[in-house]
Amino acid sequence: MTSITRFLIAGIGFFGVAALCVGCGPATPDDGADPQVATQGSIEVTAKLVDITGKFPPNDLYDYAYVMKYEVLKTHRGEATGTLLVGQYNPLKKRAVAADERSGEIGGNVTRFRVGDIHRLALEPNIDEYCMAGIINKYAEEDKPSDAPLYWAVWTNRVIQ
Amino acid sequence: MSIRYSVAVPLTLLLCALVPVAPAEEYDAVLAQELADKGWIVYSAQADTATWDLFVIRPDGLPARRLTRTTRYEEAAPRFSPDGSRILYRRFPKDSVIDHDKWGFGGELVIAKSDGTDARVVGAEGEYPWASWMPDGKHVSCLYRKGIRIISVESGEVVREMPRKGIFQQLFPSPDGQRFCGTGNVGGKAWNIVCLDTKTGAVNPVHVFQSCTPNWFPDSKRLIYSSRPPDQEAHKGYGATQLWMANADGTGRQLVYGDDAYHIYGGEVSPDGAYVLFTKSLADGGGSEKEGAPMFVMRLADAPAVGGDSGALRALHPGAKDAPLLELPAGWEPHWTYANVVVKP
Repeated sequence: MTSITRFLIAGIGFFGVAALCVGCGPATPDDGADPQVATQGSIEVTAKLVDITGKFPPNDLYDYAYVMKYEVLKTHRGEATGTLLVGQYNPLKKRAVAADERSGEIGGNVTRFRVGDIHRLALEPNIDEYCMAGIINKYAEEDKPSDAPLYWAVWTNRVIQ
Repeated sequence: MSIRYSVAVPLTLLLCALVPVAPAEEYDAVLAQELADKGWIVYSAQADTATWDLFVIRPDGLPARRLTRTTRYEEAAPRFSPDGSRILYRRFPKDSVIDHDKWGFGGELVIAKSDGTDARVVGAEGEYPWASWMPDGKHVSCLYRKGIRIISVESGEVVREMPRKGIFQQLFPSPDGQRFCGTGNVGGKAWNIVCLDTKTGAVNPVHVFQSCTPNWFPDSKRLIYSSRPPDQEAHKGYGATQLWMANADGTGRQLVYGDDAYHIYGGEVSPDGAYVLFTKSLADGGGSEKEGAPMFVMRLADAPAVGGDSGALRALHPGAKDAPLLELPAGWEPHWTYANVVVKP
């Protein structure tokens, strides 16, 4: 092994370990607040994504909104408490690039939806007035479907505690 | 009668008499003769301009005549006015990919005489979404996020608004103006055929699950639409999209035509209710993103019908026929009138 090779291996090892240390370290807390989430929609909450029933269908031919279950942790604007059913448009896409003709203006910095994540959400209370797409709501198929309103996610930011 | 028909029809009838189960191709001349004086079909297609243009064709497949010849625009989704004197369509910038499901949200609405002349751009990009003729030919219905609007073609005045009740695309008024049909949300499921009563605003499901592109029968009582039933083996379990019909109240659902190798879209009933027009596409979606798909005409009396091998579909519909089909050029979103449309060859 030449000295140059040993040098390269040592360098790669050093930066690799450094990168792992950075990745494992505590992320900077972020409450998800920004001008958009604070002004869009009529309701603003911090909420935990507690359930996604089923699997998102492919979106190569057909775009849709998918209803997910959130638990409100804090209400910032408007009135919303407890469990919310929230429709996210085209959930296979990053929020920043999900908007189109069907959704109107939506956005945020969430890149994927995972149960357990906490989001700061700007919402509207009646999804039917905002979403011009198919709405998949698996909770409506339950034995005792909820008659709670379906909220429309206008802006969805990640919260890091 | 043309020389073509004077020879072909007797020959075909003779063959039909001699062969108990004749291949569908041998019936084509008979079907073509039936259709020869049945008005015009307007459709969009890609032609030598390398953009989408509008064409009309006789339903017997005689050579198409061009309505538009533009190199800067993609013209698509034409529909005759109720009296057949005008067409409306959407015009997109050149090289736009026309999305098979979102086309009604985009492009400019254009209204022209049915021969393509006197074209007038009515709205800017995205205005008048999903515009469709109302029965009086003086208004169009449009589907907005906040609801359905009836708008005067001449003045642009909104004369009526109503909630859209979950309808999100493909809104079409019935010929008698009593209802709208559309693709909408029902009970947590997306992509359903629904009807909305224009007087009461009540909405009812017609066909729930993976259905779209509804169109009215001329009697305003029935609908034709595309549907992809669940649990099919075709297309590696994805399923084939079939053509169905039903009463507006959701009763009487029935297969019209299916072929496990193809997706059937563009369902349109002739103005006398005797024939059905559709496209057969290998890829789902109807082909608007590429070159469209071949159009076909079938007698409605032959429904339910199944094409190709379609073993699984035939097993589900053992009484289905092998209906004769008349193939027309490739196109997308065809529409049919019996009005006398005068278009120079």
